[in-house]
Amino acid sequence: MTYIERDVSLAALRAEVRDARARAVPLGAYASENVVHYLFLTRDGILVLRAPVRDGEMVASCTPEMPLYDWDEREMRDERGIRFSDHPDDRPLAIEHGRIPEARTAGGRGVTLVVVGPVHAGIIEPGRFTLSTTGESVQHLDAQLSYSRRGVERALEGRHVVDAAALVARICAACTVSRATAYARCVEALAEYTCDERADLARLVLAELERIYNHLFDLASASAGAGYGRAQVEGLRLKERVMRVCADHARHRFMLDAIQPGGVRADVVGDPPSLRAALREMREEIARYESMLFDTRSLVSRFTGAGIVPRESARALGGVGPAARASGESADVRVDAPYGAYAHLAPSLSLEARGDVLARCRVKVREIGASLELADRALAELGTTRQAAPVELSIRGGRWSAATEGPRGAETISLATDARGTITRMHAISASYRNWPLVARAMRNDIVPDFPLVNKSFNLCYACADR
Amino acid sequence: MKHVFSRSLAIRHLVCGSCNGCEHELNALAGPDYDITAEGFELVASPRHADVVTVAGPMSDAMRAPARAALDAVPHPRVVIAIGDCAAGVGPWCGVGTAGDGAGAELGAEVVVRGCPPTPDQIKAGLREAAERLNRRLD
Repeated sequence: MTYIERDVSLAALRAEVRDARARAVPLGAYASENVVHYLFLTRDGILVLRAPVRDGEMVASCTPEMPLYDWDEREMRDERGIRFSDHPDDRPLAIEHGRIPEARTAGGRGVTLVVVGPVHAGIIEPGRFTLSTTGESVQHLDAQLSYSRRGVERALEGRHVVDAAALVARICAACTVSRATAYARCVEALAEYTCDERADLARLVLAELERIYNHLFDLASASAGAGYGRAQVEGLRLKERVMRVCADHARHRFMLDAIQPGGVRADVVGDPPSLRAALREMREEIARYESMLFDTRSLVSRFTGAGIVPRESARALGGVGPAARASGESADVRVDAPYGAYAHLAPSLSLEARGDVLARCRVKVREIGASLELADRALAELGTTRQAAPVELSIRGGRWSAATEGPRGAETISLATDARGTITRMHAISASYRNWPLVARAMRNDIVPDFPLVNKSFNLCYACADR
Repeated sequence: MKHVFSRSLAIRHLVCGSCNGCEHELNALAGPDYDITAEGFELVASPRHADVVTVAGPMSDAMRAPARAALDAVPHPRVVIAIGDCAAGVGPWCGVGTAGDGAGAELGAEVVVRGCPPTPDQIKAGLREAAERLNRRLD
C-alpha cells in the first residue's frame, strides 16, 4: 500500500475532494495545525489531499454536497480551530465542560421526542440518542456521542511512536488488532522498514480472528435485539470459544499487544498447525449457527425490512465495512488496496442488496466462513514457522497514513513525527465513526422499538469513535 | 427468607470512559460459559433496581455527572465494584489526556477487580465478594 500526498490550494479543495471522491473510497478528513487533510483509498493505497489554512482563512465545507464529512469537519473545528464557511451544522461535535449540544430534531406538528442515554439499559457504551417520532414512527435520529472521550490524540503528541503503540492498541479493545496493524504499518513506513512475510501472515490470522469473534458477538446481539434467546446464547458460546483460541494463540483474549511496530509478539501464532486445527473444528459449528439463524422463520421475519440503509445513502454517508457491503457497496480495504499478506490472500466478498438487519446479519455470517478460510490458508503457508521478535525500528520521521479492514470496516491511522520519532500528530478514523451516520439513517421510517435491534445489527463501538 | 435470597444480586453497569474491553467481558456473563443467572445474579436496566454497581474506565469528563446521577439513584445498602485496571486507578488511560484517575475511586468502589480487561471469571469472583459484603451489611 502506497502513500501519496497532493498539495492543493484552499480555493481548489472542494473541487479536488469531489473529484477524488468520484474515483476513490473516502476515508475521512482531519486537521493538524493549519493544514487540512482529506484521505482516500485508491487501488494503489492512500491518497491525501492537503491544503494549508492561513490564519483567519475560512475553509469551504465539503459537507453540503458530501455529507460524509459532517463529523470530520466539525471535529476539525472543535479540536484544531479550523473555520468552515458553510458547514450546515454549527454545533460542536463533542461535549465540552459537561454541556451537550442541543439535539437536532425533526420539525412539524405532532413530533414527539424520545431521548435515551447516555446511560443505557444494557451493558452498552454511553451515547445520547434523540428520536423524533410521530407516534411509533421515527422521523429522525440524532446520535450524540463523545461520552467516552479521553483526548487520546492530544495526549499522544510528544510521545515516542514506538512507546505510544500500547496506548493506540487500547483506544478500543474490540478492534485493537486492526488499529494496531494500521498504526504499525505507519511506524514501519516512517522507518522505511517492510514487515517480514511470516509476521504479515500472523497479522492476517489475528485480524481474521478479531473479525470472527466480533461478528459472532454482533449476531448474538442482533438475536437478543429480536428476542431470540437461543441464537443469542449460541452466538455468545461461539464467541467465547474464539476468544479462548485468541488467549491460547495470541496470549490475550482480545489479542492486545499481539501486533507491534516491527512485526508481532514473538510468542503469538507459535503453533500454526494446532491453531489451524482449532479453527477447522469451528467450521461446522458456524454452519449450524447459520441454520439456527436463517432457518428460523420468525427471526428472519423480524430481521427483514428492519433498519434499511439504501445503497445510495450508504455511499453518500461514507459507510464502510459489512454495513456498506450489506447495502451493496463493495468497500473492503483488503480487496480495494491489499496490504500485507492480503496482497496474495484475498477474501471472498459477501454482498447483499437490501441494507436491512437481515442483510447485515447474512453478510456477517458469510464473512465468518470466509475469515476461517482465509486464516486457514495463511496458517498453511506458515507451516510450522514460529514468529521472531519485532524488529527494532529506527524512525526517520515524516508523515504516513495506513488503513486496514477491521471487523466494522476501514480503520485508518495518520501519523506524523519529527526526526527523532516523537509524535507531532496522530489521528485515528474508526469504522464506527464512519458508520454512525448509517445507524441514524437506518432508523428513519422505522419504529422506536426496533432501535435496539437496528443498533445491534451494526454493533458499532463508541470508544474508538470518541477517542 | 434471607437465606433464600442471600446470593441474589441486581447489577447495574456504568461505562466511564472505558475502551469497551470490560463491557465485552461483562456481556460474556450472559453467555452459557459464565451464566451468572445460575448464581442468582442479574443485570438490570435501571439503577433503581440495582444493589451492585459495576463501573469501568478511568472516568471521562462527559460521564462524570451522568455516572454520579445514576449512582445516586441506586438504593442503600449497595456495593460499588471497580471493574478493570482503569477503574482501579492503575490502567493505561488513568491520568492520560482528559481522562480521570479511575472511576472506582471517584464513585466509591469497595471491591476491585483488576485486569486489562479482567476475565469473566475474575468479574464473577468480584460479584461473589460483593454479595457477601451485602449479606454482612444486612445482618
